[in-house]
Amino acid sequence: MIIERSSEWAEGFAKRLENVEPWDNWTLYNMSYDIAKNNLITEFTGLQSPKYLTSLKPLEHQLQVAETVIERMNGKAILADEVGLGKTIEAGLILKEYLVRGLVKKALILAPASLINQWLEELHYKFYIPAVPYKKNTPLELCDVVVLSMDTAKKSPHRELIFEQDYDMIIIDEAHKLKNHKTKIYEFVQSLKKKFCLLLTATPVQNDVFELFNLISLLKPGHLGNFEAFQSAFSASKHDLEHDDYLKELVNQVMVRNRRQDTGIEWTNRQVNILPIQFTNEEKEVYEMIMNLKNISPVFSGAFSMITLQKEMCSSKEATFLTLNKMRQNCTNPEENASVENVMQKLMALEINSKAEKTYEIISRAKDKVIIFTEYKASQAYLQWYLHTKGITSVLFNGKFNKNKRDWMKHLFKEHAQVLIATESGGEGINLQFCHHVINYDLPWNPMKLEQRIGRVHRLGQEHDVHIYNLAIENTIEIDILQLLYKKIDVFEKVVGDLDDILSAFKQTI
Amino acid sequence: MYPQQVQQYLRTFFSENNCEIVVDTDHYLTVQLTIDMDKRIMNRPYYWQYVETTGGVPNPTQLTLITDQTKLNDNVRGELVYFGSPRLGQLFQATHEMGAFIEMFEQVDEKINRPILTPWLGVNYKISYYSNQTKEMLHSLGVNLMNGHITKDFHATLGDMNITPAKPQNAFLLPYIIKPIRGLERLDGVVENLIQQDDHSWADQAKKRWQRDIRVLEFFYEGVDEKPECYEMEKKALQQQYEPRIKIEIINGGLFYLK
Repeated sequence: MIIERSSEWAEGFAKRLENVEPWDNWTLYNMSYDIAKNNLITEFTGLQSPKYLTSLKPLEHQLQVAETVIERMNGKAILADEVGLGKTIEAGLILKEYLVRGLVKKALILAPASLINQWLEELHYKFYIPAVPYKKNTPLELCDVVVLSMDTAKKSPHRELIFEQDYDMIIIDEAHKLKNHKTKIYEFVQSLKKKFCLLLTATPVQNDVFELFNLISLLKPGHLGNFEAFQSAFSASKHDLEHDDYLKELVNQVMVRNRRQDTGIEWTNRQVNILPIQFTNEEKEVYEMIMNLKNISPVFSGAFSMITLQKEMCSSKEATFLTLNKMRQNCTNPEENASVENVMQKLMALEINSKAEKTYEIISRAKDKVIIFTEYKASQAYLQWYLHTKGITSVLFNGKFNKNKRDWMKHLFKEHAQVLIATESGGEGINLQFCHHVINYDLPWNPMKLEQRIGRVHRLGQEHDVHIYNLAIENTIEIDILQLLYKKIDVFEKVVGDLDDILSAFKQTI
Repeated sequence: MYPQQVQQYLRTFFSENNCEIVVDTDHYLTVQLTIDMDKRIMNRPYYWQYVETTGGVPNPTQLTLITDQTKLNDNVRGELVYFGSPRLGQLFQATHEMGAFIEMFEQVDEKINRPILTPWLGVNYKISYYSNQTKEMLHSLGVNLMNGHITKDFHATLGDMNITPAKPQNAFLLPYIIKPIRGLERLDGVVENLIQQDDHSWADQAKKRWQRDIRVLEFFYEGVDEKPECYEMEKKALQQQYEPRIKIEIINGGLFYLK
């Protein structure tokens, strides 16, 4: 076995014996011994870190996660608690424990740019870990704990600078961004040495089970077998899973997941309503005209652009118009051009937006703060205007806002406006516990995005039942999206475990 | 460590280092650092370089340290110090460095003619076991430099004695037969013996975990002829994660002349 020792003390002692340097002070000698005795880590197991963290009262489930990860998973794990249960705290506890135990000297934390400040603050104030944000010219060799964004990390020259360092621990927040093994960031993380590694995500499965395979293969290659073996055992169809119990067990060896009801904390309920909406006859006509465009021009024959248009038409004419106008410019044939223009005219002549009306109805019934999520910026702007005409004040929010602007918008929403209208990218990294009505004006393809949205309000500190309104227009693509969402949730529940109500159990309401 | 203990610690630390304590309450203290202490803990080498090269008047810092914010009612500005805070960690480190080597004498009754004091070498060891987990132990050992007799819990026995840094005037110090450096080698040997006799199932278990994870990794790359770079890196990571190792450190120690 390797035994490390240093001759430093012996050398210093020799100097005192030869009277080259003076002897030290007896009181300090005793103090030094007492400190060593008090800080001694007497057991392999158990957490040392909480006694160092005087300004943090970790919750029971957070302590349990830290212990499980360190003692059962040997410091390599996916932290997959539901949104709002404090994954950052858990990661902080684990990092602190390894720092205290001397097993980690240098740690690298990758987080979305919008969450970097939050990480730094939590590490500083809750964990007393002097983490440094990475900037150009940050001397990495001198900084023990560094936080930077994945986008920066994967690019030259940063990536080379990172590879030169020897990190003992890698923490990756919002790790579902690594679900695709063909991306640059995946390859980057794969090439990092991972002695201890934490992947944080509330949504380890978003679309299919291969995403989970990719995540786990980053963490512990081979744990789910190699790709071929995994594929033949678990695929056939991407959505159906045999052997789920076996897979679930393997997954649970590297993943911890707490659900709200496991935490012993009293959570308010989620009331999920799916509200089917009828198009007006005019809207319906335009929707069908758009569908018909694929028979008129090859520009519209691509499935992807058609789906985009359909989704936009379910959102607002403003969103539809932008895309339609752009695509019209690709039409070379004047006849095609004319028919597209005809559709556009019809579109702009529409006076009623059924969904917006429904939204107004919900807001006026709620008589309270409401968050609206939409997928399109044009719809976001339209909704603000529309609500303004109804005398309802609103603020806009999107994820590209810098920290100051975010805080300011949050403040405006809290103090002055009734409604916050956010685009998809506003879903991460803002906490709005003071509000308990969420309208999903457009539905995303991905159920976990819905979960992220709801998690903004349904988290620790929420005092009311949370009302969620999912809007879907009948006889349109939105109903298909809804069905696909159910299917994906099913995959998730088979492999990972139950999900809180995202969509509502009342499928029959559609 | 509770706020009161931190307060007590700071008080002792600074007064032992000749820093004047200007204000002392139960929840904060203001201390005038000496030049030496300023250089040691204030981290401003350029300032001191500047003062020394220009021959300016040195102005060491006056530091206010708050140990219990909840009791703070007057308008005191200062640095919060608590268990786990960087400042306290730094002072612990300073204490470690400034309390490493000692020479002490047991006091004797003045009426006794030529009392004899025997030299001892006392050393406090810290042993750490590392794999993907850690455990630490303290061993305080003493060796009689006349006859080579070794005692454990040496530091604890000193607590009951009346010992001071000054040699009693009338005492006769036996010249050591075993040189202190040789004594240190003997104690090092004792520590190694203690380690050898200890239960090392922790290391066996770590090796088992290591082997198991290597098998998992091999499975991932089964059938791949030319293994990519990340295969070697994963292997290295596993080694660093699990490989058992032991570290021996000396916290402090010194010469003790005892009856």
